[in-house]
Order: sequence, then structure tokens, then C-alpha cells
Amino acid sequence: MLRRWYCHRFVSTARLYTSSLCAQRKCFSTSTHCRFHATAVDEAEVAPLRKQLKDAARASRHQQVSDTNGKDQLRRERLKDWELTVGIEIHAQLNTSSKLFSRASADWTDVPNAALWPFDMAVPGSQPLFQPPVLIPALRAAIALDCDIRPRSKFDRKHYFYHDQPAGYQITQYYEPFAVNGRVTLTQQDGLAPEEGTLHIGIKQVQLEQDTARTQQHDEETSLIDFNRSGHALVEIISLPQLHSPQAAAAYVRKVQSILYAVDAATTGMELGGLRADVNVSVRRFDGATGNHSYSGVTGLGQRTEIKNLSSFKSVEDAVCAERDRQIDILEAGGKIEGETRGWSLSNPGATRRLRGKEGEVDYRYMPDPDILPLHIDNDLVAHFRSTLPPVPDQLLDMLRLSYGLTADDAGALLNLDNGTRLLYYQDVVSRLTPSSNNNKTAFGVHVGNWILHELGALLTTTETEWHPDLIHAQQMSDLISLQLKGQLTGPSAKKLLRILFAGEKEPVSVIAERENLLFQSMNDQEYVELANRVIQDHPKEVEIVQKNSKQAQGKLKFLLGQMMRHGDRNRMEAQRAEKTLRSILMP
Amino acid sequence: MNPAATARRLKSPGEIRKYSTIYHDRLRSARGTRAVLSGLENLVLTGSPYPSGRNIANDEVIVLKDNFLTTDLPTTCASHILEGFRGSATSMVGRLLQDAGIHIVAKTNMDEFGMGSYSTNSARGPVKHGFDSLEQSVGGSSGGSALVVAGGLARFAIGSDTGGSVRLPAAYTGILGFKPSYGRISRNGLIPYANSLDTVGIMSTSVKDAISIYRILNKYDPADPTSLDLNSRARISHAGLSRSRVPDHEASNQVGVRVIGLRDKKESARLSLEAGMRWKAYGRQYLTKRSWRIGVPDEYNIQEMHPWIRIAWLKTLSVLQDMGNDIVHISLPTTQSALSAYYVLAPAEASSNLAKYDGVRYGIPRDAELADNHEGVLYAHHRGQHFGDEVKRRILLGTFSLSAGAMDNYFIQAQKVRRLVQQDFNNVFTVPHPLLEASTGNPEGVDFIVVPTAPTLPPLLSELKRQSPLDSYINDIFTVPASLAGLPAISVPVVADDDLPPTSDKNIGMQIIGQFGEDMPLLNFARDTVEAIDPPRPRETDSRIWTARRF
Repeated sequence: MLRRWYCHRFVSTARLYTSSLCAQRKCFSTSTHCRFHATAVDEAEVAPLRKQLKDAARASRHQQVSDTNGKDQLRRERLKDWELTVGIEIHAQLNTSSKLFSRASADWTDVPNAALWPFDMAVPGSQPLFQPPVLIPALRAAIALDCDIRPRSKFDRKHYFYHDQPAGYQITQYYEPFAVNGRVTLTQQDGLAPEEGTLHIGIKQVQLEQDTARTQQHDEETSLIDFNRSGHALVEIISLPQLHSPQAAAAYVRKVQSILYAVDAATTGMELGGLRADVNVSVRRFDGATGNHSYSGVTGLGQRTEIKNLSSFKSVEDAVCAERDRQIDILEAGGKIEGETRGWSLSNPGATRRLRGKEGEVDYRYMPDPDILPLHIDNDLVAHFRSTLPPVPDQLLDMLRLSYGLTADDAGALLNLDNGTRLLYYQDVVSRLTPSSNNNKTAFGVHVGNWILHELGALLTTTETEWHPDLIHAQQMSDLISLQLKGQLTGPSAKKLLRILFAGEKEPVSVIAERENLLFQSMNDQEYVELANRVIQDHPKEVEIVQKNSKQAQGKLKFLLGQMMRHGDRNRMEAQRAEKTLRSILMP
Repeated sequence: MNPAATARRLKSPGEIRKYSTIYHDRLRSARGTRAVLSGLENLVLTGSPYPSGRNIANDEVIVLKDNFLTTDLPTTCASHILEGFRGSATSMVGRLLQDAGIHIVAKTNMDEFGMGSYSTNSARGPVKHGFDSLEQSVGGSSGGSALVVAGGLARFAIGSDTGGSVRLPAAYTGILGFKPSYGRISRNGLIPYANSLDTVGIMSTSVKDAISIYRILNKYDPADPTSLDLNSRARISHAGLSRSRVPDHEASNQVGVRVIGLRDKKESARLSLEAGMRWKAYGRQYLTKRSWRIGVPDEYNIQEMHPWIRIAWLKTLSVLQDMGNDIVHISLPTTQSALSAYYVLAPAEASSNLAKYDGVRYGIPRDAELADNHEGVLYAHHRGQHFGDEVKRRILLGTFSLSAGAMDNYFIQAQKVRRLVQQDFNNVFTVPHPLLEASTGNPEGVDFIVVPTAPTLPPLLSELKRQSPLDSYINDIFTVPASLAGLPAISVPVVADDDLPPTSDKNIGMQIIGQFGEDMPLLNFARDTVEAIDPPRPRETDSRIWTARRF
């Protein structure tokens, strides 16, 4: 009976929600007005998120270019007087098989309202049933974030009315979270500016909580609600207000996501809506009197505002930037910052907009959930997860440099690209190349890194293609590299072959190479000699210089070699052998 | 109304018996019961079709309060907002009863979502005695269930007790109402009013019946996170056995299981394993052989108590003394604050629990004209339209006491009072609280506390109309403390004056409260007490209330 769409009607027209644009999801309650955009659904709004992101990025690039120099110069000057302080709350979907308080599947399904237990829809009389396996990714996340795990934590109800919140409250851990006092380390490698050095960002707490349902606009008066997501397990990661630049803010979110990925605590990142961030922004003068606000025990800060539901790293950076400038503008004009909740959207990356002020603030009326027993986490369990934790990014970085022989730059790039899927692909290719008896991955590490990062990377950029591990099967990639290393493919042939594979050719690499006549068939000695003699005949002047063994001999030899390579069949020639032949004729 | 005048208008005992016979003939079969029930619109909300061709001669029938989920009958909590709602699964209570061969024939009227003390706050109209001249309240919120049992339409009924909702109607209708320890009976499928206080209650005319239903329902249910698990149940059994550590002047009379020196941990672990087996023998033999220490808290002897109730209380205590029990003065100093704490905590939880009724997913659908208008509110119109006044009042109360500005002064304070109420009880009981490490039990303490169920006689419905909500809250003063502490409590019918014919305007309930987990000793003690008091026979007495229906 639960397998159907549940509809309800708005009298006013309502905005369209694309799957990831549920930006204002949590922002309404009975006390606040539902200010839905009364615009008709137009083409632009239905455009896929990816395209929107791209357009927005382009827009902001143009903007940056247009107001460089003058304005930016001023801004930079001005920033010297102001300290920006940012604290971030990250909500991440945990990688679990069931929901937080019901046995319903947490797997993604495109059948709406299929993965439901009565509790997920707040059916009267149903009760929450904590699912202990949810603790596995949650504990991994908290441990990887260097948190203290509390032996006893509790669940609270956070009340607000909205269509996607069937119970009228979200179950979260407000008073007693399960993990506290964590830390994330940021370096230049993570995208910090060099002058920021290494930063240690404190994590105030990590708490378990429920996700909401998904809402979708059906027509002007009807929203459809899919409760499949309702009750999914999330962790909310609350940082201390210790970030002081937009870049650092973005780097922090990126770093947290990569840590969550690395320990398998989360599998869907910001791009897929599995990770969302709320940022708290305040500014104060470096030299002036300290502010009188304190957040999470950090005192002397200015009045903060909160920007909700940011769903990309770029948006975190842009939103913080825009909000910082707005606050400084107000303060420099002698104004006062209001404690309020603000929104930010891709369509206008240069500014944040007011959603609601303090008086419109929802009173969440946190109440301990009377149905849910306190959560006791045994020390042994924590110790077990601590000892079996997969490596976090910093450990991976070391591994890539030491065991795979990559440079710090390449290693960093591999870690940060494509949510770690590129790294997995890289390791896959290397392991396919490395005989199982051999643990030394350096033999292939650099080579594979070169192909996957640079050759393949260049192709991705020029064709504006999104990375996907299935673009070129790892076996094809390893075969290609293997052929090249064995000398059966010259560099140019290998690149040509890569382009063929990139175009979607699924046949075995050897078959393609043969068909396209790319395999290197070495010229025999006779052919080399014939070619050398022809070049010698054509360039007597240079030959003379070489034979005199004067200062320019080396240069001219290279010239002759170049001529040889130019006139011969490049696919069949090796420079070393050509040079050897040339030398043996000219300098016996 | 003058009670004596009412008594004079009553029919003669012979007539009562005659009607009751008619009933008994009809009530032989479940189908007959259903036929009777279906004629009582305000008592029963929905009746169940009975499968034909089944041998029903020996079937027992039961009714459920309308806040227990059933798949074949709607469950509305007597609220407009849940009109037509059917659960996707029957409540655990319903399933256990069905598994035991007991047929659920009807869902009974109640105060909306359990909020009320007189079963008058129902979307389907108040529960009334069938007899026109009897305008006494049946009590609430499980009033429908109480009246079904009092009228002999079913042997048992299930209610829910949050702050006295089973005990008060039992007292006002002259039957037994048992509220077990919190967590004994699964709440799965019981639509909550205040989760931390809600218990499943049993109503019947004899303690024996209550015990048999309790035995069916007293099961650990993993689907209810607050259900007492097997470990806790073992600890409870063990705590009960520790009673024998208490120096007792009657100790020599104890021929039952007697365990001395339970201080050794290993020994106690072994004994707690055996406790389950020994329990029955232990309970029975102790009850017949030993004397009990009965606590009488000074704080319950309030000025507002109706004189007849005070008389009945004294009579009960003297009967108990005659049985060889010791009557002991005790003090439960937080009793007065308990009521205030209850009326902060219960509405707070209710405001949270009832937030789900938005008309989106179930219940009465939202009116498109009123939903989500631009002026801003999402569900206020729907909720305002379909919740009753008392429900709205308590939602507002709870919303206020949980709000950021009031939380510390109300909700937090009330939780502290609740803790003190629990401590009060732990200080006076001989048996330690089995689930609290710090609780040791008071060697000089008492086994049971005996107090009236309510300070007043059943009020007239016409009087209630003149009452303020606050007046009706005060009537819960004697039932709320046991609820806050999660203790087992039973209301048994007693009489003030043996010479007057028992009538429903003089129904008085006496409440027995035991330590947490002591449900079986409490029930056994209640059985002995009832036998000693020889109460009026409720079925014969109250069946006259149906005469106006002319079956």
C-alpha cells in the first residue's frame, strides 16, 4: 500500500526542485512563509545540474576577468584589515544498507516510495528501531576525523514542519553527539594558499541524524514526495570556526569528503547530492576591538550569518567570498550585521540573499526522543575500527609517493580527482601490470601515473569529457602501457591508440594495434644502413663537420639523426638504433 | 444531583438481574456481542465482522481502545484528523491477543489521542452511560473500554494509561483497571500520546481475568525500543527475590521460597536464572502466608477529597489490617509537584508526537482551498480544523514548554521533578528499583502503597461543562505519580457504605501501587484484597445502565 506517490497541493505556484536543488528544503516552517518562486517552469530550470554548474563557472570566470585589477586590487587591500572566520556544518549520507531507524533498504532505487517501512513515513504507532550496522560507517568517519568517540550518546528530536519531514521532526544528536573533538589537517596540497601554511581545523562534534524525503514539483499546484530517502542515515560534521579564507573553507569541505570516501563512510559526494554544507560566516577588524560574539567556545568574533545548503566545493568558496564582502561593505559603511540565514545560488554567485532573519528563525524545540534508548558504544568496537581503518588521504599521499614513486603533485592530483575513482583506477592498472610476485610498484607507478593523469587528462580536457572509470577499461589501459614498455608501441603510436580507445573501442588492445598497423616492427640493420647512407649523401657539409670531430660535431650528428628519423617510417624506427648506425658509419 | 435521590430512582435488584440475564444470553457469542456493541454509537467507534461458521461458543471477546492499530478496523484515536485511517499491521497487543484465541470485536471511544479524564473530548461525542438518568462521567481517557466491561459486553478490555487513563475510568465505572510497569507490554502499534509515560492497560471485572490477559501480553517485543528486554526482566525477578532480605516479624510464617543472604553476586546470578521458575510458587505462597507492609502517604490525604472516598480509603485500610498487614505512614513529598510536572512533560511529548498529522500521508485529506496559501503557513489550517480543542490546548502547552525561551524553566524542571518523584518511591519501597544501580531498597519500607484512585466521585457530565481544563487536570493528582515513575498500579472497586445499593454515581476506586517490575505480586495482592473487601459485582450492578437501550 505504500508503493505510490503521495501528493499534496499548493495553492500558490511552487518552484521546481531538480534532484539536487532542494536548496531551501529545511528553510520553511509554519512560522515562516513559503515563498515559492511564482515563475513558470522554463527550459533553463530543467537543464541538468552539470550544465548549470558549467554555465555558472563560466559566468563567474567572465565576471572575474572583467573586474580584475581595479576593483580586486581595492578588495585585496581592504582585506588586510579584516579577518574572516568561517565554521562549517557538513551533512553526509552514510554508506549503509539500511536506514537509521528502520530496516528499509538504503540502496538507491528509481521506484518512488518503494524502500519504506511504516516508520519512514511516520505512520502512527510505528517506532524507531536503531540499526546498529549504521554505526560502522559512522564510527569510521568519526575515527578518520580524529574524534573522541563517546561511550554514551543520545538522540533528540528537532522540530519543524515541512513536506519532506513526515514526522514533523528530524531525529538527530543535539545534546549528546556520539563523537566530539575531532581534527582535520589542511595543507597546500589540499588547496590552501602557500601563505596559509598547514592548518588544523577542529571538529566540534559529529552526530548521527535522519535525512529527509525528496520533493519534486509535478505541476503548478502539486508536489510529489518520494519518501525513499526519508530516514537515511546522515552524519553532521560541525567544525569549529577556525577557517579564515574562502579557499580554506572549500579545501576543508573537499578534504572532509575525501576522508569520508577514503574510509568508505560515504559513497555519494557533493556532485550527487550526498554531501551538503552550511557555512557560518563572520568578519572582524584585525586591529579594532574584538567582537562580542562567541561560537562553539571561540570568543571575540563578529556577528555571524549562516548560508545554507551549499552543494559544491566551488559554491562554498564563492558563497563565503560573497558573504565576506557583503559584511565588510556593511561594516565599513557603519552598518550592523544581522544574525540571519542566507541563501546562495549558482545563478548569482557574486552575492548571498536573505532567507530569514532572527525573528523568523525556526525554534527547533529540541527534545530528547523518548522512544530511543541511549546509544552505548563499546571501547573494543572503537579500537577495532581504529585498527582496521582504511588509509586516509594523507596516508594515501605518502603511499603514492613512496610505494608508487609519484611526485607529490601527481599524487595529490590523483587523490583529489574524481572523488578518488581515478586513484582506484590508477591502482587497478598498476596492479594489472605488476606481477603478483612483485610488490615493487615503482616500476610501473610513474609510467601509469603519466598515462592516466597527463595523457588521458589532456584528452578529457580537450574533449570536455567527464571522467568515468569505464571510459577505457583498466585492462585495455594496462595492455597499452605494457605494449609501450615492451617497445612494441612507439610513443606516438601509443597516443594514437589511446585516442582510439578513448573513442570507445572495446576490442582488445593487441587486436586494435594490429588492425591499425600501429605495432612496432623494427627496421632491420640493412634498412637502417640504407637510410643512413641516403642522409649522408644529401648532407655532405654536416658529414664533414662530424668527421672532423669539431666542436659542432655533436650538434650536427643530432641534425643528421633528425633527418634520418624524418625520412624513415617513424612507426618502425628507434632513435637509438638509428644513432648507432649513423655513428658506426661516420665514426667507425 | 443528590446521590441519594439517584439511588432511589434505581431499579430494584430483581430487575437488574433480569436484564443481566438477557445480556448473558446474548453475550454467549461474539456475534451477539457485536450486535449489542453496534447499537452503542458513542461507546464503540467500530465493530468487527465476525467470521461465520466458526465455533464461537468458547471464544473470548475483547475490545481495544481506538488508539491501538488494527488492520480490519479503522484506528482514529477518536480524532477527525485520523478519519478512516487503518494501520498496515495490527498492534503487538492485538496480535498477542489474537494468537491466544481472543477475538477483537470493537474499537472503543476515548478522549481524543488520550487527552482527557472524562472521555468527553472525542470527535464522536462523549462516552455516556446508556441509562438516561445516569449522567455520571465514565472517566477517561479509556472510557469506552471501561464501560464495555462494566456493562458486561466483554469480559476484558484494553486501554492505555498515560497519567491514569485506565485507572480513573475503572474507578468511575466500578471495575478493575491495571496499569503495568512501563515497558512490560509492547507499545508497538499503540498510537502514542506521551511515549515516556504511555502504558498498555487492562480492564476487567476480576483480578483473575486481568492476570490472564496480563500473562498473554507480558512479553518482550524487540520492535518496541522501550520494551523491557530479557536481561531487564531477569534483573526484575532478582530484585523481587531480594525482598526476603528484609527483616520481617512474620518471617517464620514464610513457607515459600525463602532466600537468605543474597549478597553474594554469583549466588544471586544463579538465583536470578531460577527466578523465572520459582516466580509462581514464590508469588502465591508469599501472598497467602506473609503479611505485607502497606504504605499510606500523608500527602494523598488532601482537603479536596470527597468524604465518601476518605471513608472508603479508611475502610479498605482497616480490611487490610484485619488481613494481618501492617499499615505504615509514609511520605512522598513530591506528590504535589508531580501533577505539574506531568502536565508539562505529557503535552511536550504530545506536541512532538502529533506533529506528524499534516494530512499529507494519511487520515483526513487536506482541503485544497486552505492548504499552503501564500500567506504562509503549511499545515496550520488543516490541524486547526481537525484537532479538538483539548488536543490543540495541549499541543500549544507542549510547544511552549519546549521552546527555547521556556525549555529550562518548564521541560527541564519537570524532568527534575520526575526524577524526584521516582526517588520518593524508591525511598519508601522495600524492594530496590531493579534497573537503577543506586537503588538499594528501604529495609524499613513498604511493599505496596494504597491510595484512592481519584479524589472525587464520578462527576456529572453537566458539572464538567462548567469546569475549566485546569479543574479536570487536578483530578489526575493521585494517578500521575505512578505514571511518572513507571510503576505498576491497579485500581480496584470499593464501596463507601455497604448499606446503600451500589450505584454508578458512588463508584470508588482504590489504587494499589507497587515497586517497578512487581506486577505479579501487585496483582496477587490485589486479588487477595478484592476478595477480602468483597466488592460489588460490577456486571450485575452496572448492567442496568443498558436498560434504556431496550434490547
